[in-house]
Amino acid sequence: MDRRSFLRNLGIVAGAGTVSMAIGNIPIRAFSKSFLNIQAVNGKVIVLLQLSGGNDGLNTIIPFEDSLYYNARPSLGISKEQAVHLSNLTGMHPSLQPLKTFFDDGNLAVVQNVGYDDPDRSHFRSTDIWLSASDSDIIINDGWVGRYLANVLPDHNPINPEHPMAIQIGSTQSALLECTCQGTMGISFESPNQFYQLIQGSTADNDPPPDTIAGNQLKYIKEIAAQSIRYAEIIKEKADSVQNLATYPDTRLGRQLAIVAELIAGGLETPVYLTSIGGFDTHAGQSGPHANLLSEVAEAVAAFQQDLDLLRVADRVVLMTFSEFGRRVRQNSSGGTDHGTAAPLFLIGKNVVGGIYGKNPDLADLDNSGDIKFQYDFRQLYATLLTDQLGMPADRLPDVLQRSFESLPLISTSNFGPGGPLAFQIEQNYPNPFNPATTINYSVRVPQSIKLEVFTAAGDRVTTLVNEHQETGNYSVKFDGGKYPSGVYFASIRSGAVKQTIKMMLIK
Amino acid sequence: MKSGNKLNKIAVWDEDSARHILARTLFGYNKQDVEFALSITLDEFVDNHLLSDSPSPPQPGIWVNDPTDENTTEHTRELIYWWYNLMVTQGYSLRERMVLFWHNHFVSEVTKVYLPQRMYWQNKLFRDYSMGNVIDLTKAVTLDPAMLIYLDGIRNRKGAPNENYARELMELFTLGIGNYTEQDVQEGARALTGWRVDGLTPYFTVDRFDEGTKTFLGQTGNFNHNDVVDIIFTQPAAATFLCRELYNEFMHVAHDEDSIATMAQLLRDNNFNLKPVLSTLLKSVLFHTDEVRGAKIKSPVEMLIGVMRQFNVTTPDYVYLRQVAAQIKQELLSPPNVSGWDGDKVWINTTSLPARNIFTDAVVNGRKPNGDDLTFQLNLVEYARTFSNPEDAIQLINDISKIFLQYPLSENRREYLLTTLLDGAAVYDWSTNDPQAENRLKMFFKALMRLSEYQLS
Repeated sequence: MDRRSFLRNLGIVAGAGTVSMAIGNIPIRAFSKSFLNIQAVNGKVIVLLQLSGGNDGLNTIIPFEDSLYYNARPSLGISKEQAVHLSNLTGMHPSLQPLKTFFDDGNLAVVQNVGYDDPDRSHFRSTDIWLSASDSDIIINDGWVGRYLANVLPDHNPINPEHPMAIQIGSTQSALLECTCQGTMGISFESPNQFYQLIQGSTADNDPPPDTIAGNQLKYIKEIAAQSIRYAEIIKEKADSVQNLATYPDTRLGRQLAIVAELIAGGLETPVYLTSIGGFDTHAGQSGPHANLLSEVAEAVAAFQQDLDLLRVADRVVLMTFSEFGRRVRQNSSGGTDHGTAAPLFLIGKNVVGGIYGKNPDLADLDNSGDIKFQYDFRQLYATLLTDQLGMPADRLPDVLQRSFESLPLISTSNFGPGGPLAFQIEQNYPNPFNPATTINYSVRVPQSIKLEVFTAAGDRVTTLVNEHQETGNYSVKFDGGKYPSGVYFASIRSGAVKQTIKMMLIK
Repeated sequence: MKSGNKLNKIAVWDEDSARHILARTLFGYNKQDVEFALSITLDEFVDNHLLSDSPSPPQPGIWVNDPTDENTTEHTRELIYWWYNLMVTQGYSLRERMVLFWHNHFVSEVTKVYLPQRMYWQNKLFRDYSMGNVIDLTKAVTLDPAMLIYLDGIRNRKGAPNENYARELMELFTLGIGNYTEQDVQEGARALTGWRVDGLTPYFTVDRFDEGTKTFLGQTGNFNHNDVVDIIFTQPAAATFLCRELYNEFMHVAHDEDSIATMAQLLRDNNFNLKPVLSTLLKSVLFHTDEVRGAKIKSPVEMLIGVMRQFNVTTPDYVYLRQVAAQIKQELLSPPNVSGWDGDKVWINTTSLPARNIFTDAVVNGRKPNGDDLTFQLNLVEYARTFSNPEDAIQLINDISKIFLQYPLSENRREYLLTTLLDGAAVYDWSTNDPQAENRLKMFFKALMRLSEYQLS
């Protein structure tokens, strides 16, 4: 199906100018020229940053008041003085200092103890689990991003999208972008220029290979050949159309993120980017190398955020880190740490609702191998990115993640969509900060069922204030924090896939 | 016929089976190689040539014996060039293919191992045992200095075990995930304690060895490193795991568990000696069946070395080979991680495929993309004249395709290649004496190796 027939099938005739329409619950705008991904996801982009090798979570986010941490890590432990304090219990590795300012501005979320049930300590298996979003005991051969792009983005056409559906910066290609239904959904390259030079002189070939083992291999190679020819030009054009405005560190990751920023700001409509940094498998002599790796991450990510801001695209982008596992609580005799389980990860972006989600790991309650028990399933993070960043209807989650997972209130969706009229609008609560009660006003513009809930910073639901079908109009509800402790709370209003969140501060 | 039975049935020996076996065992071949193979029987070719033992090649330099020599960058380079040379000039032995197979199986990375000397000795181990006894090889690898360093065996001691080697030994080297428990990893690590490395030599320190009782894969005793390997190879999964990898290496990646089980039984029956299994496989109908031909994506090394062998280049441009190998993601001595190169479709992406095309263009042009000359230049007219009827354009294309392509050439592609070769002339005008013949052959060979089909073996 080509683009135009897709439009026809939806009963839409695209003439000159723009046409507004909706697919599922997502308001989108179709321009006569480029109708692709970016409209379906409202211009939103996710950037995934894979820390390969198993990042040591306990030396990334430091529980500096926990003596069990220092007992388990006599030489590796990061002292309370060294840690960059995020709260009175929790700090970051000193190498992550460049990220502190984003935390202070409320744009960096730390999600604690992310993992999965029955954890696997093999790098390869656990990486596959993270990339495929499978349960620990189920083998799935493709990636969650690949399935999302193939199954959910409604207008995807494997033959003809004008811009690549996903981009991996690097010269290998991750299973993350694979879909068994349609093959690879993304392309990979080290830099736009190099990519452009590589394809000079290539020609596509449309001979259909037979359905044999060899024929299927040949089909794959031909697809890659066709993709590389098709995209090299547009990628170079977009990258050349803007210049990075921030100064990136001259590191591999710095270069990767600089390219991503250029492509986003240059107008490439690709909704998913994958970047990566390796070397986190710190079995021995961990201290120095781990600090250097975290520095490389923090400096590159900080430059990226700054750049997105200067390029005026920051409100479209969320970056999330992930790693196949954390590491054993107790350090080993080689000054390193062995493979472990759950670990913290980061989300950063203009629309990220900053804070610490979840508790410091309970080091008195470990599993049989001496590893941390998980608090959040990693697929809750994927669900959050898919619904609250990319605007996927929550009822489609099983198509991507096998079943539904509850998303976390990590991403503010208040400015969802560049053009689509919002079906409801929540306002900042008043007073704020408050004690003990505050008022939340919101308006409903289309009759629909509305759910308004309040969450703690850890993501635990405090109360449901509204859960009913409501007519068009302005509404006002009171939240009484009398019986709750001081701290940050989030009020989240939701209808179908669309959600808006405000941050409220209770100070007693 | 059940696929397991196809393993025990001997294939027909003809030009197509000769081309297939050459392509899969030797990193590429030329016209003389096909003629040689067909001058003897399949039995003779497999048993007396592919699987024959040959003396160890000379060392790359005396530095390999000197643990104090820390000229690591230069020696890593020398070692890789030395290895390339062995692959290019290997004769008719399966040995070099198996050395690379073992390098990708018992993985070590030179950066962590630090001294390329250690990588040389590990490489020699793979060559010495290339088609030998797998249990002996695994025991030798367990005490190999490069491996002891790479997977932290030297840090594994009584009271403070380091699980790295114990885990990967079972997960990636012998049994596969699901065939051992976390407890086996921990107990196995205890049994492997006590070993360290002095320069290029492993040594045992008795007070670092955990002499306590271990329960490992269901057995209990005061086990040591050799016991660990012996116990692992009593597990049914061990033979299956290795045969699945051999199947991947020589056949294709679409697993046929029936045949793999038959191979595994053969391996067990021969006490883990590889030759009988390889001999049976390489002669079998299973290996020579049509659906296997052209069904493997060439690894970068296979592609790079293959071009040299197809064009009879015996002294390649080593610098350029290594540079391109890094670009298309197969740097010898530096696999990406302990599981090695994934292979198959992972080799081909939007960066590596165009880079492969640029490499084959450069070989034909005699010039790198940056304009520098290669260290060798092809004479394509002379090369064309080694074929039986070079003045017949269609026959020339057919004959050359049989050296360069395993995947059958479609009518469309043949037409495209012919049009490229003729470059506007009529087919009866083609002559290798034409002043433009060299240029036309250049265009033709570039187009031939840019076909997606060329990436298949």
